[in-house]
Amino acid sequence: MSGNPIKAIIERLKEFRRPGYYKNYDHKWTMVIDLDRCNGCEACVTACYAENNLPVVGKEDCGNSRVMNWIRVERYVAGEYPDVKVKFIPILCQQCSKAPCELGCPVYATYHNQDGLNVQVYNRCVGTFTCATYCPYDVRRFNWFTYKWDAPLEQQLNPDVTVREMGVMEKCTFCIQRIRAGKDKAKDEGRAVKDGDITPACAQSCPAGAFTFGDLNDPESRVSMLAKSRRRFRLFEELNTEPSVIYLKKVFADGGGNPPVGGHTLAGGHPPVKEGHGG
Amino acid sequence: MKYLITLITLAVTGAVCFGIGYAINITYFNDKTPTQPINFSHKIHAGDNQIPCMYCHIYADRSRVSGVPNVARCMGCHKVIKTDAPEIVKLTAYWDKKEPIPWVKVYNVPDYVHFTHKRHIKAGLECKMCHGDVASMSKITKVSSLEMGWCLNCHTKRDVKDGRDCWTCHK
Repeated sequence: MSGNPIKAIIERLKEFRRPGYYKNYDHKWTMVIDLDRCNGCEACVTACYAENNLPVVGKEDCGNSRVMNWIRVERYVAGEYPDVKVKFIPILCQQCSKAPCELGCPVYATYHNQDGLNVQVYNRCVGTFTCATYCPYDVRRFNWFTYKWDAPLEQQLNPDVTVREMGVMEKCTFCIQRIRAGKDKAKDEGRAVKDGDITPACAQSCPAGAFTFGDLNDPESRVSMLAKSRRRFRLFEELNTEPSVIYLKKVFADGGGNPPVGGHTLAGGHPPVKEGHGG
Repeated sequence: MKYLITLITLAVTGAVCFGIGYAINITYFNDKTPTQPINFSHKIHAGDNQIPCMYCHIYADRSRVSGVPNVARCMGCHKVIKTDAPEIVKLTAYWDKKEPIPWVKVYNVPDYVHFTHKRHIKAGLECKMCHGDVASMSKITKVSSLEMGWCLNCHTKRDVKDGRDCWTCHK
């Protein structure tokens, strides 16, 4: 770059916006969620709370939309009893390859890293709320207060995860501490990370095995196999955010599968009737 | 005029007070060389007697923390060696009371940083690259700032894989 240093910086920043920039991942961590297996038990939500030091905000703050869940299970109900069709869909940070949230942050607290993860750096975050506003999936959570854990409960905080303070944004990390531990173990044994080494808390806790986590760059991994499924869809695919979370759609016993048209379109041509909201 | 003199006097007094306070703080309340409950000398152990670091800090190559040795490890030698020295008497008192020694932590990394000794030792780093020449210190002094710039300097110089990604260290 000759001359103008500001121009050089702008060029450098533009590089991140260019299509194809993110293709050279080391890994491409991906999660496949089989909606056919999900029965809406919310074990994943509980596991996430325990693993990632999420505060339980209480009834009042919950009513003020300050609930801190990184993963939620939305419920879609169609029809009258006894002909009811219920669908559950766990929604977590989609770790978009072209994440809208990354565009807005004035301090680069959120960016894309070499593993295809959408990183949130708590220490950089100044709490402008821009990322949460840009996120089409509503998965980013803001710390309105510094939450405290009562006496015996602070003993069960996960030491591998920061306890966040007031004024920072947070979201699902795909359990970065477990990814790090998996890589660490693989490095000790002198091998590459193999499929099944890393399991996020939600995937580990799911009794139905709806979650599968792995590396999409590895053609032999379970997620690569599942991602080829004909039932595959991604949330809001028309927005071109290229999420890393792939859903396999639910098929009902009558073959057709989807509840009748009504309400807004969710994704992948699913038009469910939305009556209740998860949580 | 009178107002100006008062202002200058106040400013000078303030500066002098600050200077004295700062000097006292640096000399006597400097946490880089804290006073430990037992006047343990690394110079005697690691320097004069050539005990390797990992004889006492046993977890350095297989854990995140290097591990402060427990009292039993001290007593392993000091049951027989120099039992009448005043510092060893203090040690024996802790041993008899079955209490751990309340060592003051010198090298502290904040909670939001994931640091592992294991990875660094396995990458072939020597202890003294971060902790200084401990073998010549009679009282442990913090020689590295442990700031992020200090970490990244080395990560950049050694071209660590993903060494500059935030989520490599921050959790």
